[in-house]
Order: sequence, then structure tokens, then C-alpha cells
Amino acid sequence: MPALPRALCSPRVVIALGMIFCIACCAIFAGFLAPHDPGDQNLLAILNPPAWDSGGDPSYPLGTDSLGRDVLSRLIYGARTAMLVALFASLGAMIIGSILAHISGYFGGAVDWIIGRAVDVWMSFPPVILSLILMVGLGVGLGKVILAIVLVDWTRFCRVLRSEVLVVTRNDYVAAARLLGFTHWQTIVREVLPATLPLLITLVSLEMAIAVVVEAILSFIGLGVGPNQPAWGQMIADARQYVYQSPWNLLLPILAIFLTVTAFNLLGDGLRRTLDVRLAETGR
Amino acid sequence: MLATVLKLIAGRLLTAIPILLIVSALLFCVLRLLPVDPAAMSLPPNATIDEVEAQRRDMGLDKPLPQQYLIWLGDALHGNFGRSIALRRDAGSLVAETLPATIQLALCAMVIAAILGVGGGLVLFRLRGTFFEPAADLVSVLLLSIPEFLWGLILLFVFGVALQLLPFTGEVAPGLPIPHVTGFLLLDSLLVGRVDVFLSACLHLILPAVALGLAFSPTIMRVLRSSLFDVYHEDYVAQARLRGVSEGRILLRHALKNASLPTLTLAGVQFGILFSGTLLIEVIYSYPGMGNLMVDAVRNADLPLIQAIGLTYCIVVLIINTVVDGLYVVLNPKLRVR
Repeated sequence: MPALPRALCSPRVVIALGMIFCIACCAIFAGFLAPHDPGDQNLLAILNPPAWDSGGDPSYPLGTDSLGRDVLSRLIYGARTAMLVALFASLGAMIIGSILAHISGYFGGAVDWIIGRAVDVWMSFPPVILSLILMVGLGVGLGKVILAIVLVDWTRFCRVLRSEVLVVTRNDYVAAARLLGFTHWQTIVREVLPATLPLLITLVSLEMAIAVVVEAILSFIGLGVGPNQPAWGQMIADARQYVYQSPWNLLLPILAIFLTVTAFNLLGDGLRRTLDVRLAETGR
Repeated sequence: MLATVLKLIAGRLLTAIPILLIVSALLFCVLRLLPVDPAAMSLPPNATIDEVEAQRRDMGLDKPLPQQYLIWLGDALHGNFGRSIALRRDAGSLVAETLPATIQLALCAMVIAAILGVGGGLVLFRLRGTFFEPAADLVSVLLLSIPEFLWGLILLFVFGVALQLLPFTGEVAPGLPIPHVTGFLLLDSLLVGRVDVFLSACLHLILPAVALGLAFSPTIMRVLRSSLFDVYHEDYVAQARLRGVSEGRILLRHALKNASLPTLTLAGVQFGILFSGTLLIEVIYSYPGMGNLMVDAVRNADLPLIQAIGLTYCIVVLIINTVVDGLYVVLNPKLRVR
């Protein structure tokens, strides 16, 4: 695919990939980078300000939360949670959504109608409401959050990709492949999929941004990854209660989410421009 | 013309009914998969097993799932959504009490989104071909990527905590009475003649409404800009320019009018999404609307209330989309000919 190396030269893509690389490093090497265990409580040092502020303690570089846990360590481990959710939720939604989109757009007819109506019904649920209801049904936990996001967001891939598949399928080379004796499966995988791949990659990077936000939202409400797993949304919910005592605790996780979301969106935007694909619906 | 529009809206509402039935069935099934027993939850902890069984029979939980759904649907059609388990009150009236506050927030946010979106779109369009275009473009992409959840927190931090300019908790200052006439606080406070309550409510509405509006204005901004680009390729723009009409007048009187149609369609779809976006904003700002009620219900696994609120959100979004379709016909003469 000659378009991908070209995409890697775009400044937006390079900056975004650099940011994502840094966040991913935090996530992977959290055990080495974090100065404390993210769950360790020090009730003698609650709501400490960052080290540079008056009253700050150098052993807690970014201060502590309401239970005396190290904010820096929780931010680093929160990156792990966010990246895990972003990766697996977007891949899961991509797999379900794109398989259905290819079936729907390639075969058309009754299959297309059924999948289309399923998407309509699914999308008449506002996404926030649907994910909340699913979390009530599934219970808290990292895997449950990923599953809920996959179940809510597969429609995003399905709807956008289906129209792309429809266009690609009309090409002569697809008909030629059929005439050469390719089975339907071979035609989809070897002829249609390579043409829809650029759009697929773009959608995945946008979906990662959405997944990070949804995870933060669910953790903020208290229905996310569970109390034992550090998450940025939880840190915000905790800091929201003590906002006057320690405003830093609120600002830092917001900043972390903001940077991560911006990085994924910048990547998606850069890819969209360089790969020049029709993108009917972007983001939320 | 009115007849056409009404017919169209009625047709759309008819197609919405099967969707609503499936949505309600899905809602019902997902919540029935929960490992909690609504009968046991609605009784005090010291209830005997026999009492729980009697309650189960009473609530119809011993019947097969499709039959349970039909009973619930029949009750819901009569406006009876069951009793909230945690609050021990009628779920339907709880929704009715909180819905106006949410609608009020959504409407204010929509107005702000429209103002910012149209203004931003015009500015973005005027910057085309200039030195600032790439920068403005990048800014609009960045703005587009900030969801309402983050806007809510950022504004709360900047204007509420750091600058301490605006209040960020509740709907009026503590201590002020909350009048109940129509349920819409801004209207009610004026109806009972309490200007102080009205002003306080306005102040408390600024941050939530702006946060929600900001999250939705970039989409309007970008669609308006691209429709303006399309409109500027039309002959009447060139013709107006030949007649010596000023650029500003072409933009505002000729182009904006025609570019506003696609923008309006999109804004309508956005309003549906914006309405469900109130949920997070309400939680962040402790604003007493339906969203906060929903989150409380979810935390307490309060099934009847979750079902009632979930269904209300879906119905409101469907109604908004239908009305927008009708509005589109009213404003677009090309669609009126039959």
C-alpha cells in the first residue's frame, strides 16, 4: 500500500504517533516508571500538593489524593488502563463492525436489509445511555468496559464501511475476480478489503479516542474498571469532591485524557487527509 | 403546506413505533439478565423467603420473559412505569419531575452551539485562502476532538475553581427556594416573580450550557463552512458579484441562506446527540435533571427507574429527529412539491 508510507511523512501523523508512543511507553513500563504502588495508601499524607508547591513532598512528585495515594503513579497506571481499553475496544468494534459491513455491502439484498435495520435500532439508543445500561447488566471490570464499548460502537464501523464496500464492489476488478473463479470469501479478502483498509485504519484511530473518553466517563460515574484498577475517570471523580483543597488532582487527569484523545484524533485526521478516503461520519 | 408537514411527521412517527418496540424489548431483556432480584430488593432485608416469593408472584417475575415484557409494556403505555426500588416512588412521576430541567439545559446548550457554530463557520470560511487557514483548520480539528465530558471538566476547573467566577454545583444558590409551576426553573422563577432566583438559575446554567454547546459547535462550524464552499460555486454568487454586491452582503444574504439547509439537518441530528450529552454534564455539575437521576438509578441497580429513564431518552431523541425532518420540509421549498 503506497499510501501508508506517504501518511507517515505527514506532520500531523508524526506528532500524533510520537505522543501515542510516549503514552504507550507509560502504559507498558508503568511498573518501572511509577515511584509508588498506585494502590498504596498513606493516610498521613492525604491531599498533598505537588512537590513544587509549598508544603509539597518530593517523594510524591505530583502530590497525593484523598486516600494518600501517589497521583503520578496513578496517572501512569491509568495510562495502562486507558490504552488497554483503547486498543481492545477499538479492535473488537472494528472486527464486528467491519465483518458485518463487508457482508452487508458485498451481498446486498435481504442480508443488507437485516443488518441495516439492526444498526438503525442500535443507533436509536443514545450511546451514553446504552453503555450505562450495558454496564449495569455486565457489572464493573476492565473486560466488561471493553465489551460494553464494543457492543455500543460496532455500528459506527458498520455504517461508514458499508457504503465504502458498496462503492468498491461495483468496480470491474471485483467482477473480474469473480469471473476468474474466486469464491466470495476470496473476493472479499483479496479484492475488497485492501480497498477499504485505509478507511478502516482511520476509523480505528478515531475509535480509540472515543474508547478512551468512554472509559473515563464510565470510571467517573463509578461503573468502569472497578475500584482496584487506577483509571483517570476515577481520579477525576475523587478530585471533584476535594476540588478546593487540591485543584491539581483535578487538572492532571483531565490533561492526561485531553492529550491522549487529541493524539488519537490528530492521528485519525492526518490519516484521513493523506489516505484521502471518504469519511461520512467522524467522531461523535 | 402545513398538511404536508404534518403528514410527513405522522409517517415518520409511525416508522418510529417498531423501532421503539424493539428498543424497549432490548432494554427489558438486558436489565432482566442482571444477577439481582427486584423482588428481594423491594423488600426490607429481614423479609422471609415466603414473603419474597409472594412479592415475586405479585410483581409477575415468575412468568416467562416475553409475558413479563408484555405486562410491562401494557403498563408503560398507560404511563405506569412501576415504582422506583430505591426511592419508593412512582418512576414515571420521577421522570416527569426531572425532564423539564434536562430539556431546559439542552435547549440553552443548543442555542449556544448554534451561535458559536454559525459564527465560527463564517469566520472559518472568511479565512479561506489566507495565511491563517491551516492554523484555523487545526484548531477546529482539535475543538472537534474534545467531547462534552472534557469541556464540562475544563470549564469547571477554569471558571469555577481557578478563577472562581461562576457557580458550578446545582441549579440555584443554596438557600434560595425552588418554585414549581411548569417545572422549567427559568420560567417558574419569573412566573412567581422571584428575580433573584431567576438570576441565580441563569448563573448556574452558564457553565453546563456552554460546556455542552462548545462540544457540539465545531460540527456545525465545519458543515457550515463546507456548505458555504459548495454554495460559492453556484452561478448566482458570481452573478451577485458582477452586479457589484459587496462580499459581506453576498455571504450573509445569499450564501448563508442556502448553506443553512444542510447545516440545519445536521444540527437536528446533533440535537438528538446533544440531548443525551446532558447526562454527563448534569453529573459533572450536580445539576438535578434526568441524567443525575439515571446515574443514581444505575448505581442502585434500580430497574424500573432505569427502564423508565432509558426509554424516555430514546423517545425524546426519536421525537427530535422526527421534528427536524418536518422542519427541513418547511424550510426547503424543493421538498414541498407533491
